[in-house]
Amino acid sequence: MKKAMSPDARRASGVFTLFVLISIAAILISLNTGTLPIPPLKVIQTFFGYGDFTSTTVLFDYRLPRILITMLAGIGLGISGSILQGLSRNPLADPGILGLHAGAAFGLIVYVTYFHSLNEKASLFIPLFTFGGGVAAAFFIVLLAHDKFKGIMPIRLILVGIAISAGFGAVTLFLSLRLNEDTYLFASRWLVGNVWGRDWIHVVSLLPWIFILGPYAWLQSKTLNVLSLGDSVATGLGAAVQKRRLLLLGTAVGLSCASVSVAGSIGFLGLVAPHLARRLVGPMYQYFLPLSGLIGLVILVLADTIGRAVFAPNSIPAGVVVAAIGAPYFLYLLARTK
Amino acid sequence: MKTKFGIILSIVLLLVLSACGPASPKERKSEEKNGNQKIASLSIHLTNDLLALGITPAGSVVGGGLKDFLPHVKDQLKNTKKLGPAADPDMEALLALKPSAIYMDEEYGGKDLGKFKKIAPVHVFDLDEGTWRDHLKKIGKLVNRDKQAKEFVEDYDKETKEVKGLIQHELGKNSKAMAIRVTAKELRVFGTARPMGPILFDDLGFTPANGVKKVDANQPYQVISQEVLPDFDADAIFVVVNQDDQSKTAFKQMENSSIWKGLKAVKNKHVYVVPDQPWLDYSALGNKMAMDQAEKMFSK
Repeated sequence: MKKAMSPDARRASGVFTLFVLISIAAILISLNTGTLPIPPLKVIQTFFGYGDFTSTTVLFDYRLPRILITMLAGIGLGISGSILQGLSRNPLADPGILGLHAGAAFGLIVYVTYFHSLNEKASLFIPLFTFGGGVAAAFFIVLLAHDKFKGIMPIRLILVGIAISAGFGAVTLFLSLRLNEDTYLFASRWLVGNVWGRDWIHVVSLLPWIFILGPYAWLQSKTLNVLSLGDSVATGLGAAVQKRRLLLLGTAVGLSCASVSVAGSIGFLGLVAPHLARRLVGPMYQYFLPLSGLIGLVILVLADTIGRAVFAPNSIPAGVVVAAIGAPYFLYLLARTK
Repeated sequence: MKTKFGIILSIVLLLVLSACGPASPKERKSEEKNGNQKIASLSIHLTNDLLALGITPAGSVVGGGLKDFLPHVKDQLKNTKKLGPAADPDMEALLALKPSAIYMDEEYGGKDLGKFKKIAPVHVFDLDEGTWRDHLKKIGKLVNRDKQAKEFVEDYDKETKEVKGLIQHELGKNSKAMAIRVTAKELRVFGTARPMGPILFDDLGFTPANGVKKVDANQPYQVISQEVLPDFDADAIFVVVNQDDQSKTAFKQMENSSIWKGLKAVKNKHVYVVPDQPWLDYSALGNKMAMDQAEKMFSK
């Protein structure tokens, strides 16, 4: 006995399949992009183990880890943005705008300043530090945006986020001025969203965050649906509002902070991806959450590829490319929500 | 029978195909000893040490801010492949170059040599240890040009002696000097470490002005405010001005300030404005070119 799919679900699965294909195409384009040209046929050959020394090294040591990092970070930011928009009931919420990235940057600078040496093994701890910074930022945001009677107020959330962002930014700047020139250069490039993680170790450090928190968020789709309706309705429908909200907020912080820890501070992705996804498949979380992750993946992989290829040999950070598209979109949304 | 044959054939095929796996870089090692070298330099300073020995590296990193080779050696590197900035070298370009040896600065390469070793044998230099003479001699040994290295150093020392004489004639013995750099944002004073320390205080025989020795020996410079300039009480001031317009304007403003006009070195006209390159390029060639400029400056 087969249960008939609802039209929503059918549409969602159609769109999802389409985006899976698009992302495969994006990944293939990205794999073919680099200083050293490798014909597509050879890429496929190499993947099945028949490449020569050069193509194997280029694909497996240089390109693949970087692509995996952008893929994972794109998914993380897309999902994180979706969760935040639901929790705050605000279409303008984005981990960058809310100040979570500023918190993550603060965590990163603390790490670089006091624990220094960006050596191999230590890379595994970077997501923990950025997460710590993100949690600190989230704590202040919730504390300041919370109203005793009205709960977390959407508009106040954005304003508080901007303030928190500026505050953490100031401390980060202060700390980074004390760094030596190279570390400072690293920090400043990180802040504009330069995908600096290039090695397998960075993939390993990011992977568990996305693979655990991503599916968890999807399993919580029903809760997210209910929470987007507003606190009073949600309580009426039997959701333990406060507890769930904190857990999901933690999930969003974890996803975005882990993502930016190796991919650099990439803004607006968490804003654009959920929007496009919601437009395509509607506001039900079980449908649009995974799609939002997938769109995040496509955008970030393409942005990094464009940044590397179009402006070669002096590549520009992926974050700049995303912002070039994301910022106007943000303004458009801002104008429309009035 | 037929199936057995098929199995054997497929096993043979499998073996043949797997033998076509990644080729090792072993065969390239023999080239190095023959002097027929293809060197990839992952430090702009090592590049210029190589040039001093008459060797053009096949590939080299570029200056981070410039995104290009340093201006004073650009024309010598026309056939050299650009390998990206030292802090983030373009691995694919490096691999495509198929170098026979990779020279790198410990500061940048310290963390993961494995990646580079896979491409070619790696020689790491700690540029903070010893002077450029030591680096040059080490390279000379590697490339079988000991003699050239020795001659280059002797040449430099001879020229230095002459310039030192000119300076003592102009400023007297044991005169105190300092080097500053004016950027749009800040004023820096160089310490006794590279790039400015060795050439001024060791080679040209200046005494570090008051406070220059206080700059952390592990740092090239320290940021100071204009107000403390008189405290250094320098007889001669070397000024490095960045190329951008903002820095030039900042220097002009400083020149018009009463603090600047009151300085001993300014009153006696012992201010020497020098370009950032080659003066800040702490390499054999960089220092040689700087010495050539110094000779011209003090022969006037």
